[in-house]
Amino acid sequence: MLCSAGIPASTPSSASSTPSSPSPTSSLSRPEKRRKTAALFPNYSPGKVTTMRNPQPSDSILTVLPVDLLVQILDRLPDTGDRKSCRLVSRGFLRAEALRRRALRVLRREALPSLLRRYSFALESLDLSPCPALDDAALAAAVHTSGGLRTLKTLCLARATGIGWRGLEALLAACPRLEAVDLSYCVGVGDREAAALAAAGGLREVRLDKCLGITDVGLAKLAVGCPVIETLGIKWCMEISDLGIDLLSKKCRDLKVLDLSYLKVTNFCLQSISCLGKLEDLTMVGCSQISDEGLRFLKNGSNSLRSIDVSRCSNVSTLGLVSVIEGHKCLQKINAGDCFPELVPPFLTMLGDIRHTLKVLKIDGFHVSASSFWIIGMDCKHLEEIGLAKCKGVTDQCISELVTHCPGLRTVDLTCCHLVTDNALIAIADHCKRLECLLSESCSLISEKGLDRIGTCCSDLKEVDLTDCHINDTALKCLSRCSELTMLKLGLCPNISDKGLFHIGSNCRKLLELDLYRCTGATDGGLAAIAAGCKNLKKLNMCYCTQITDEGLKHLSCLKELLDLEMRGLVHITSAGIAAIAFGCRSLVELDVKRCYSVDDASLWALAQYSKNLRQINISYCPVTDMGLCKLLGTLRCLQDAKLVHLMRVSIEGYELALRASWDRLKKLKLLGGLRHFLSPGLLQMLKARGCRIRWVDKPLVLGV
Amino acid sequence: MDPKLRISSEALAKSSCQMMGDPSRNFNLGQPFIQFNPTNLCYGGGPEQTFPEFTPTPDTETHGLYQPEPQVNSANQFKPSPNVDTAILDWDPRLILSNLSFLEQKIHQVQAIVQSIINQEGRLSNRANEMVAQQQLVTADLTSIIIQLISTAGSLLPSIKNTLVSTNPSASRLGSVIGATPSFGLNVSQQQNAVVPMEVPKASACDKLIDNLNTNSCGKEGSELIKGLHGYGNEDVELIKCVKSCDGEGTELAPLEDHDVKDSDDGVDGENLPPGSYELLQLEKEEILAPHTHFCVICGKGFKRDANLRMHMRGHGDEYKTPAALAKPNKELTSEPALIKRYSCPFVGCKRNKEHKKFQPLKTILCVKNHFKRSHCDKSYTCSRCNTKKFSVIADLKTHEKHCGRDKWLCSCGTTFSRKDKLFGHVALFQGHTPVLAVDDAKVSGTSDQARANEVMNGMVGTLEYNFAGSNLDDVQNLNIKGVDSGRGCFSPMNFDACNFGGLDEFLRPASEVSESPFSFLPFGSSNLIQGSGQN
Repeated sequence: MLCSAGIPASTPSSASSTPSSPSPTSSLSRPEKRRKTAALFPNYSPGKVTTMRNPQPSDSILTVLPVDLLVQILDRLPDTGDRKSCRLVSRGFLRAEALRRRALRVLRREALPSLLRRYSFALESLDLSPCPALDDAALAAAVHTSGGLRTLKTLCLARATGIGWRGLEALLAACPRLEAVDLSYCVGVGDREAAALAAAGGLREVRLDKCLGITDVGLAKLAVGCPVIETLGIKWCMEISDLGIDLLSKKCRDLKVLDLSYLKVTNFCLQSISCLGKLEDLTMVGCSQISDEGLRFLKNGSNSLRSIDVSRCSNVSTLGLVSVIEGHKCLQKINAGDCFPELVPPFLTMLGDIRHTLKVLKIDGFHVSASSFWIIGMDCKHLEEIGLAKCKGVTDQCISELVTHCPGLRTVDLTCCHLVTDNALIAIADHCKRLECLLSESCSLISEKGLDRIGTCCSDLKEVDLTDCHINDTALKCLSRCSELTMLKLGLCPNISDKGLFHIGSNCRKLLELDLYRCTGATDGGLAAIAAGCKNLKKLNMCYCTQITDEGLKHLSCLKELLDLEMRGLVHITSAGIAAIAFGCRSLVELDVKRCYSVDDASLWALAQYSKNLRQINISYCPVTDMGLCKLLGTLRCLQDAKLVHLMRVSIEGYELALRASWDRLKKLKLLGGLRHFLSPGLLQMLKARGCRIRWVDKPLVLGV
Repeated sequence: MDPKLRISSEALAKSSCQMMGDPSRNFNLGQPFIQFNPTNLCYGGGPEQTFPEFTPTPDTETHGLYQPEPQVNSANQFKPSPNVDTAILDWDPRLILSNLSFLEQKIHQVQAIVQSIINQEGRLSNRANEMVAQQQLVTADLTSIIIQLISTAGSLLPSIKNTLVSTNPSASRLGSVIGATPSFGLNVSQQQNAVVPMEVPKASACDKLIDNLNTNSCGKEGSELIKGLHGYGNEDVELIKCVKSCDGEGTELAPLEDHDVKDSDDGVDGENLPPGSYELLQLEKEEILAPHTHFCVICGKGFKRDANLRMHMRGHGDEYKTPAALAKPNKELTSEPALIKRYSCPFVGCKRNKEHKKFQPLKTILCVKNHFKRSHCDKSYTCSRCNTKKFSVIADLKTHEKHCGRDKWLCSCGTTFSRKDKLFGHVALFQGHTPVLAVDDAKVSGTSDQARANEVMNGMVGTLEYNFAGSNLDDVQNLNIKGVDSGRGCFSPMNFDACNFGGLDEFLRPASEVSESPFSFLPFGSSNLIQGSGQN
């Protein structure tokens, strides 16, 4: 972090951008780099970056270096912040960056035209999903000024609800080499948008999850227009039926990845799909009309399938999967979670046919026994992931039968396997040395004894879920030996105190995500330890840790990377703590202060002032007033999701004004149902036209935690 | 509607039913029943007319006795009648219904007889005589049923409807007369059966079938037949009840009237006649497109049908009123079995042209006409609803108009479908075709589409869209031949006069029907126009 801390909030380059091409890791150590940077900028001094915006002195070394050398220098800077600093202080570096930048993620609409103009040279990936208030006109204008994005290959417009077919047409016309488009969760997208997509004939990857308006006709347009499509996600596109899938499988013979989750398709569509000779990944979560009979169509397959997901298909049993295995002997991944919960003997026998390839097996919710695990263990020696969430009958014996033969296991999901005890953990630790992920939520019988063995043996452990396991500080101490930990969930473990958190903070320095939900034993001291040790923390949940005060938040304010902070029901925190967070955690994107009864207007002012990147906020039940709300919604240019339930001191006019100030960028809104009749219809129409979804809740006002 | 009936009506249409204006051969009720041999029913139709003992007397006067109400037939078209127009369109569904019920009863009866034969088989092996008699009875009944069926189906066709009305007793009279005479069933069969052979003069499948039945039932004795026919009479009493109870329901049969010449020409024939086994005729373009093929030598008036000409000739003098003059001219020639006739399309390169490698002949002149118009002529009839679809055969237009607007599933090629799965099947079949969104409608009906662009370029009606529908696929070339224009001036202006004069002329009827239909898009004057252009 060279100088980003010193840059005032009003710096012109407000769009953060991340390079997609992984830069070669610099061999320079940090102090050396600092010296080098200092050499490049003669008048560089960490504290006075603001003065660097003056024109470069003519004697700067940068003026004599050609652009290609500057590109080389930028390529060797691994830290995005460092590269940003270079861009900010030197036009030469700015030009070099324009030549080498491959990926762009736009956070502000205002910056879009200039960014596209500057970086259109070599841009390959454009992510507009976080860009607020993006609409057709703005997009078309920006694309127009850029003069065409001839190298662009990947485009992400997920959740860009303001985009319609006009904007898409303009954008796609400017991007002749586009290969991948993501329109997921643009709920307004329909057939016309699909038709616009179809105009870009070279598309290979299209994501249309939850594009509710797309029907068979739109899919047909796409299938005819983009015959080379390889990856298609149409999850939640509820209007699509067998007919569309049938046509798709006739037109797009190269399809490799297909996601049909939650569609109302029947067995007939599997008959069509069975003709796809190159299909590798088929996902059909929650297709309740699919049955074993349909899966039988996959019997005569071409061994192409690598992964099949039929989880939550209530009419599918493992008998159907037998036919799938018969046709596809190279299956690597089977997800049958929450299907008909019996492991039939033919299925267990068939697993032997794919013993060399099968790596992932998920049978969430099944009724299992030790004998079936013995067979699985004997057959699938290459298993890397096993999912047993909510399985009935999982005992220590089952686990030991399994893990004795599967030393390669990396992910073990034992969520809600209530019978599992420390013995199972010891068995896992003894056999699976490469364990990376252990999910044991609600395994209330496990204790520090098992975790001790895990911590000793599994040094690669990265993710641990111990929610509702009633572990104590000793267990955390054992676990803290896993220094690679990135995710730790300790929700509902009230026995944890600052002592345990101190071990975590001091040893697990790579931690990115920490969940302390209702860990009522955690206090400010624990937070201080975490904040001091886990500098890269991105996500922190400390809801209802009621002992935490402003002091704890002040400690947290040094977490520059923090993106998501949830602190519901922290009754002791006030505006001072929020202001510290707002000022310190500049990356903050999501903030939840629901039921923080002491958070008032001053907090919102601070957030409005400093948290420029805030995208989601929940201030329900907070005693804020009209002024604070208007300031917050009016100022934050990135805010797209606001939950504003039971703001007792905000008047109707306050809501009206605040929403009018932010109507063009809000995408999700949660309001009290009663307001429906008081807000002006024009405002609601405007919001709706913009793709904003309002969730009306009718909850009685209950104060308390 | 019974699908069989539908099929038979189409089959009848295929055989280019030339329903004559002849009056029915009214059998005298006093005639011996032996004369009502089904063989005789083929009188005038099949080539194997070898029953000289039966000499029909086609007498219009006796016919008049059966038609006390002013009915219009082509025989009296020269006598202006006040209710001419309504009579032309007069078509009584009740009659059809009664015919159908009649058929049903008959079939049940035959069923019963056959059943009884089966029952007797075991124990009455020695009574061979009775068996033979029963078999003959069944055969006779079946023959009667078939003929009745054909005649009923034939009455659905607009082209012969007029004549049929004139030859059949009207439905209202059916009810009143039936009770009076116990042998009415016979009466009805006689009349209608007598009509049938004239509807199928082309030695088509129907004829053959009837011939077959004739040969089987030749030697049967009259007494059995009488038994059977008396049975009809009894059941007709029930039939009347049935007709009465069904009052007003018959109108649903109306849509059938358009199933005339629809599928007659271009469909795959299925017959595989060796090249030498039939006589191949090729009409010239002008001949095909001529509205009339028979002309009066005295006044020059043209007729589509020879029979109409003969009726017309009566007005020119008594010498044309003799039975010999009114009889079908080529009747004498039919003593020897005629070679089957097949036709070739005059358009060189067409699959239906005899030069073509995979030549498939056309069955009838009507097939030739429809094929030539559809494949090699301008499509001059435009749908008034969508303003895009064009047709060269007016019956096609009428069929389309029934469905126009209901086809909401549209392909980028311009083809519309009433069902989504049909559209998707079409899209799957053709490269580059895509479904059209509802919002894009304007775009397609504009000029953006390829097919449209073609049309605009050619400055004439493109045949592309019609081809995509799949009905014309066997035609190798789809050229727009202005054959209509090139044939200009072949006919004397007399024709125009004749047309104007004969408001009842058959040619006019399609146009007048169109103007009657709910989709009326042509004013009456314009129907004259069409007629005029057709004559060129």
